[in-house]
Amino acid sequence: MKIKLLFVALVFLAQQGMAQEWLVPEDQKNIENPSEYNLANVKKGKDLYLLNCKSCHGDPGKNNGLPLIPPPPDVSSDIMQANSEGELFYKITHGRGGMPQFETTISDDDRWRLVNYIRNYSPDTEPLLVEEPPKKAKVLASVNEAERIVEVFAEYQNKDSVYVALAETPISIGAQKAFGTLPIGEVLTNKEGRAEYAIPESLIGDEQGMVTLVVDLGEGFITEDVVLDASKVGQPKPTPVLIKEEILWSTNENIQTWLLLSYLAAVLGAWGTIGYVVFQIFKISRAGKEE
Amino acid sequence: MEKTKSPEESRKLLDKITFDLTRSIVKRDELTRFWYFILVMFAAVGLWGWFIQIRDGLGVTGMRDYVSWGMYIANFVFFVAVSLIGFLISSSLQLLKISWSKPISRVAEQIAIAAVALAGIIIVMDMGRPDRFLNVFLHGRFASPIIWDVTVVTTYLTISVLLYYIPLIPDLALLRDRGGDDIPKWKMQLYKILALGWKGNDKQYKLVAHSMRVLMILILPVGLSIHTVTSWLFAATLRSGWDTTIFGPYFVAGAFVAGAAAVVILMFAYRVRYRLGEYFEDLHFDYMGKLLVFVCLVYLYFNINEFWVPAYKMKTAEGIHLRTLFTGSYAPMFWSAQMLGLILPILLMLFRFFRKPLPLTIISVFVLIASWLKRYIIVVPTLEHPFLPVQNVPDYFKHYSPTSIEIMITIFSFMAALLIITVLAKMFPVITIWEYAEEKGIDKEILAEPKK
Ligand code: HEC
Repeated sequence: MKIKLLFVALVFLAQQGMAQEWLVPEDQKNIENPSEYNLANVKKGKDLYLLNCKSCHGDPGKNNGLPLIPPPPDVSSDIMQANSEGELFYKITHGRGGMPQFETTISDDDRWRLVNYIRNYSPDTEPLLVEEPPKKAKVLASVNEAERIVEVFAEYQNKDSVYVALAETPISIGAQKAFGTLPIGEVLTNKEGRAEYAIPESLIGDEQGMVTLVVDLGEGFITEDVVLDASKVGQPKPTPVLIKEEILWSTNENIQTWLLLSYLAAVLGAWGTIGYVVFQIFKISRAGKEE
Repeated sequence: MEKTKSPEESRKLLDKITFDLTRSIVKRDELTRFWYFILVMFAAVGLWGWFIQIRDGLGVTGMRDYVSWGMYIANFVFFVAVSLIGFLISSSLQLLKISWSKPISRVAEQIAIAAVALAGIIIVMDMGRPDRFLNVFLHGRFASPIIWDVTVVTTYLTISVLLYYIPLIPDLALLRDRGGDDIPKWKMQLYKILALGWKGNDKQYKLVAHSMRVLMILILPVGLSIHTVTSWLFAATLRSGWDTTIFGPYFVAGAFVAGAAAVVILMFAYRVRYRLGEYFEDLHFDYMGKLLVFVCLVYLYFNINEFWVPAYKMKTAEGIHLRTLFTGSYAPMFWSAQMLGLILPILLMLFRFFRKPLPLTIISVFVLIASWLKRYIIVVPTLEHPFLPVQNVPDYFKHYSPTSIEIMITIFSFMAALLIITVLAKMFPVITIWEYAEEKGIDKEILAEPKK
């Protein structure tokens, strides 16, 4: 009996630990991907992946997904690539356990693009996303407080180790906050490698409206982020009054006026009268000396 | 007031009154010494406890993060309550010209002084750093009921002392002039100083009467404040069990119950010990019994309001609190205080027999103990149910039970209060002689006569 129980427990535990096979209905398996396998779609898929999936599945090829049970497989792993495109689509659409469904949050087309992106890492397809070796680059930037713009000039080192203007490249602008850089926008450089970013009116700074802007070239370039000096380009941060006036058991600065006045009046009244009575005692004593 | 007596008769009567009423001052026997010994010894043990508490910190008490008011504060509220009897008997009844209460008024005032003095001391004893006591005055927040309480306790103490002292002046002069040889020299010396050269002329009597009147009127608002403000220490929070609007009158009514019981007990003690049966007559006990029934009924009425209405609504947090009182861990204390300390005494005291001195005193002892327990029930259970969830704390944080140090210090407070009363009784007459003599028809002229 006991052994039987133990066996049942073991099987149960094993089921929990091992990934069960994820069955996809036959008719769904072989649906063809309507989205063409091209660079544009793969790139779009990559953006979607970075936004929705990377937090669990990690970077492709690095096996650095979240330690969940069962684990979210790496995009380039055999488990992932063993899926047909229809199966991938089905699994992304419906989810299972730790894997959320994306039927309601990502459109059909985009889910197919995600499949395009996953396929980029398949041993059977030609990878379209070729990761170039990162180039060295330099970024110069300054803030024009009056006109509320950030002026950027970027250069990169070309094959001949000469710095030339970095044209038509997105540059992201962020604001430094307590817990990291908050991305606020992006601009493209022009042919001369210059860009002007108009700071949005709604940007919120510190109590004085000061913002520390950060200019970043993004992946593919080796530069240091440019952290600009704090400038007065944001709205002053609204500071909530933490200590309200006139509340329960409050400090002397915040006391209710009526309360202070009634306290003082009562104390003065009582002690004034006591003083008067003490004075009467003196009078009693003096009256004894008369005659 | 009786008819004015002839000088001969008056002198004889006055001699007898003075003799009887100075018996407490003169009497010095083994029993007195033993009584002092007991009081001083227990008080000393309590002070030793306090020393340990100062040395090792408040950790030696049962108070922790959640229950931060324990037996000390319950005891404090009890003493404030008891002290309020001075307000009722030495002021309200006198202003209403209820003449039977005259001889009792000094007894009430003794209790008031002792109790309010101890209330102040207990607060200091509840502090972890009593050396920082002055900070209460230097950095106090005027919006805090604690400041109001400190203020009103000191004010009430001052007024009580004055209310005790001023009618004492003519008595002191009387003792100075007519005191027997058996009164120790140093006491006579003291009387002479404190009598302020009293001659007993009309002007002086007028001044005494005037001051008394002013004080009696002043003590009405201050007396009401002392206990109302003490109740606000609780009611000015949002905690279930304390967050109620009737706490002020509820506390005042409860205070009269405790104080009247204390007066009955002390009256009985004086009556037996100093053979003052002719002064604290059966009639006084009868009236005090009736007074006690009356205040108990008022208190019962407030109790019904205080528990009936929330028990009907049973709001979530309030419900948890009430259930611990009605059926939970505090139920034995709660119900015995309500039954033995309120309902049963009311029923018994309706009968004349139970208003006789001895039965009434026994009932009063029960009432007094119950009113102490009542304060404990008001202070502690509420703190055991904070609104915030209590998580990840040692189990003994969640429940409170007093440690032996706390009990020692609490016993100290009782002994110290009794000590103050004893010293007052040993130093000064327990009944105002001149008032009493006047009541019996003795002319003021006779009072001022020096001893033959
Ligand atoms: C909350 C974490 C999480 C997120 C976000 C997430 N996944 Fe998953 N994913 C998982 C887990 C866990 C599994 C394994 C589920 C299982 O086997 O039961 C998984 C499995 C998968 C599989 C199936 C692999 C197999 O076993 O065949 C695919 C395909 C997949 N995820 C794609 C995606 C895509 C595309 C996204 C973004 C749109 C995404 N996931 C977002 C946690 C996540």
